[in-house]
Amino acid sequence: MTTQAENQARMQAQTIEALLAFMAAPDADEAAFEAMALAVFAYQFAHNAPYRAFARQRGRTPLTVRAWRDIPAVPIDAFKELTLSCCPPEDAEAVFMTSGTTQGVRGRSYHATLAVWRRSMLDTFRRRVMRGRERIRMGTLFPDGASLPNSSLATYLDLARSACGTPDSRAFIGAAGLELEPLLSTLAEVEATGEPYMLLGASYAFVPLLDALAARGRRFRLPEGSLLLDTGGFKGQSREIAPDPFYDALSAAFGVPRSACLNMYGMTELSSQFYDEGNAVCPPVKSGPHWVRTRVVDPLTGADLPEGARGVLVHHDLAHFNSVSAILTEDAGELVPGGFRLFGRVDGEASRGCSLAVAEFLAAARG
Amino acid sequence: MTEFAGHLPGLPREAIGWRHVAHAAWGREVEIALPQLDAGQAGALCGHVREQGRRVLRAMETGRIVAAIDQAVARLLDRSHPVRAKADELLPVVTGYGPETVGLALTSYLKSFRAPQLRRFLAEDFRDPGVLDGFRPAPKGGLVRAQGPELLLHVWAGNVPALSLWSLICGLLVKAGTIGKVASAEPLMAGWFAGLLAEIDPELGACLAILGWKGGQDACEPVFLREADTVMAYGTDATLAALRDRLPVSTRFLGHGHRIGFAMIAREALDSRKAPALARLAAQDIVRWEQQGCYSPQAIFVERGGPVAPAVFARHLAQELAALAYRHPRRALAPAEANALAQWRGRQEIAAAAGESELLGPAAAPWGVSHAEAGAALLPSGLNRTVRTVALDDLAEVAGLVAPHRRFLQTAGLAASPERLLALSEQLAAAGVTRIAALGRMTAPEAGWHHDGRFSLLDLVSFCEIEQGAETAAEGFAAYVD
Repeated sequence: MTTQAENQARMQAQTIEALLAFMAAPDADEAAFEAMALAVFAYQFAHNAPYRAFARQRGRTPLTVRAWRDIPAVPIDAFKELTLSCCPPEDAEAVFMTSGTTQGVRGRSYHATLAVWRRSMLDTFRRRVMRGRERIRMGTLFPDGASLPNSSLATYLDLARSACGTPDSRAFIGAAGLELEPLLSTLAEVEATGEPYMLLGASYAFVPLLDALAARGRRFRLPEGSLLLDTGGFKGQSREIAPDPFYDALSAAFGVPRSACLNMYGMTELSSQFYDEGNAVCPPVKSGPHWVRTRVVDPLTGADLPEGARGVLVHHDLAHFNSVSAILTEDAGELVPGGFRLFGRVDGEASRGCSLAVAEFLAAARG
Repeated sequence: MTEFAGHLPGLPREAIGWRHVAHAAWGREVEIALPQLDAGQAGALCGHVREQGRRVLRAMETGRIVAAIDQAVARLLDRSHPVRAKADELLPVVTGYGPETVGLALTSYLKSFRAPQLRRFLAEDFRDPGVLDGFRPAPKGGLVRAQGPELLLHVWAGNVPALSLWSLICGLLVKAGTIGKVASAEPLMAGWFAGLLAEIDPELGACLAILGWKGGQDACEPVFLREADTVMAYGTDATLAALRDRLPVSTRFLGHGHRIGFAMIAREALDSRKAPALARLAAQDIVRWEQQGCYSPQAIFVERGGPVAPAVFARHLAQELAALAYRHPRRALAPAEANALAQWRGRQEIAAAAGESELLGPAAAPWGVSHAEAGAALLPSGLNRTVRTVALDDLAEVAGLVAPHRRFLQTAGLAASPERLLALSEQLAAAGVTRIAALGRMTAPEAGWHHDGRFSLLDLVSFCEIEQGAETAAEGFAAYVD
């Protein structure tokens, strides 16, 4: 007789094996995705109790769900309120936490193993960012994973640097914040040597750097082939800059065309990332790897919206196998050929009248 | 068609700029043109209204103002009057509320402003309303007179039809030269009402102006903010704070922020006959104005121990909301509203998955009831017909649950026996509630209501007192002095 834990461990190993095989098959067709999605849903339904309760409430079980689009998507708030993990949470190799909170509660994403997460990150990063390049010298504008062990972005940047960066790559945000002088001398050095360079990090971390360069009247002309990669938006950590002025400023400050300014769209609640082909035109088309599907739904009915209609993004990321693969975001978007366009966060607004709405209530609670 | 909003005495239509805004709902479209003044015109308008107010309005007997308002309201109550017909036709398109909802609610609301009710407004705030017309004897001795502001600026907000009339009428009753900034979501009623007043009593009509501008942007705004003696404003705390910060320190600022309403049902009201009827009344309070009103209920506390259990009451409520959805369909929601609602629904589903509550109604229903047997903190709902019912052992617990949100409290609907009505109201008053209403009447405050617990008229005026000593001293200078 097998115990529940043994059963889970066995199923987990099988799921990981199947997933890694699927991820290694870029030609997998829609039917293969569907089969894999249903298998992952069955695994999550069996071993993730709060998700099972959520799905049952929607009348969706592995017996009734026949298509991946019918797999119920949990709102990302659920990651704050529920422990969404197939493996016992204490056995998780990593727990990533959201930076945003609701009344002090952070969303948590449990990873039984980071093997799948790493594979997902690296495969996509190599294909969409490195594009055939083996390594590139990198500078990251974010603390490293040692100082932020629960940050998926810190882990992401560490992995990018160790797997795709040259040995002289480094982070320029330390305990004391932005290390401006070393960064400026590095930029001056690569400008002189002609070696392509990649500056990557949180969108908001670029803002003080832009300000410092503007204050000094300093501009760089990074060598041909250099890339900038920002992610995550401003999150109240810096002033907000609209996309066009932001990429104009990046382009002007570093001498990199906007088409070489990439934006990565990722979430703590996922195990895969989305990229664009540069930000010459905003908002650009974004897309993810073949183990991810994105739907755009009507927030009220949950029904799929056709191409070109604006709604809320639902991501179905098979690599997020230990938690929940289908998540309802709070991001507005629309489907376009080749991917989707992202229009930023859909905030609930203050009421149309004079009643108190959640957004204002929470703002007041934050003080 | 284009409807020209606003009311600008002495300014011909071609002399000013107009901003055109398109609205569409219920299969109809309408374009609203809002008057736009430049800074010079704004300054001139302030001067004109202030001067008219000082010269004409101050000299008017309150009775004449009451009569003019009464006549204007009578025309608006007459469904065949062209302005009322226009209101019935256009307000649903502009605000999105259902035509039937708007028609019924408008009539019920306007009834609060007939002459007897207006005199009630006056009597509520003034022991002797004659102080608005001249010096009257004061109880402590001497004489006293009340003066409204020379220039009162209203900054209205929100899409609840005709909400602007409440403060507009209060300002006129205290003889304030009046400038009103309409809400972009309901820019019509205040201007129509001013137009009717001008028809009925042209002198009175010349003492008020209604217009619109983009808050924080248009050049005319600083002029109005500088010129007004008193500003009465509605909106979010953030809007109010931004506005207040831009006023001269001497300007009186009366702000009405957003509020959260809730209802309470006592066990004695929960028998098999009364409970369904109460559920119907609560559903009406929820459906009326789609919970956009400061007085609208967003949570209902239901007491255990009656023949009908709280969870059963929640089901009755769900049924009533489902029934009302047929007769009074919900207005189309803007994307951000739909998101707020979807996020609320998502949170309720998560809570249900955690075993903390139960979500009633199908996922795509245009309403939602989430029932919790515990964990009863007061939280806003997703609005637009979403509500949380919370079971508790004793309604006496409610005051403690809502007290942390004192600054947001206003109306509580209460269904309880007479002795408990008083005892519970004592606790609620201490917690910061300012209005206790019957279920079914939460969204229809009575005439003379003290909005947010404040004085509708008294807060607008200042008093001039002739001290008894001055009166006595004057005797020394009389012609008949010995």
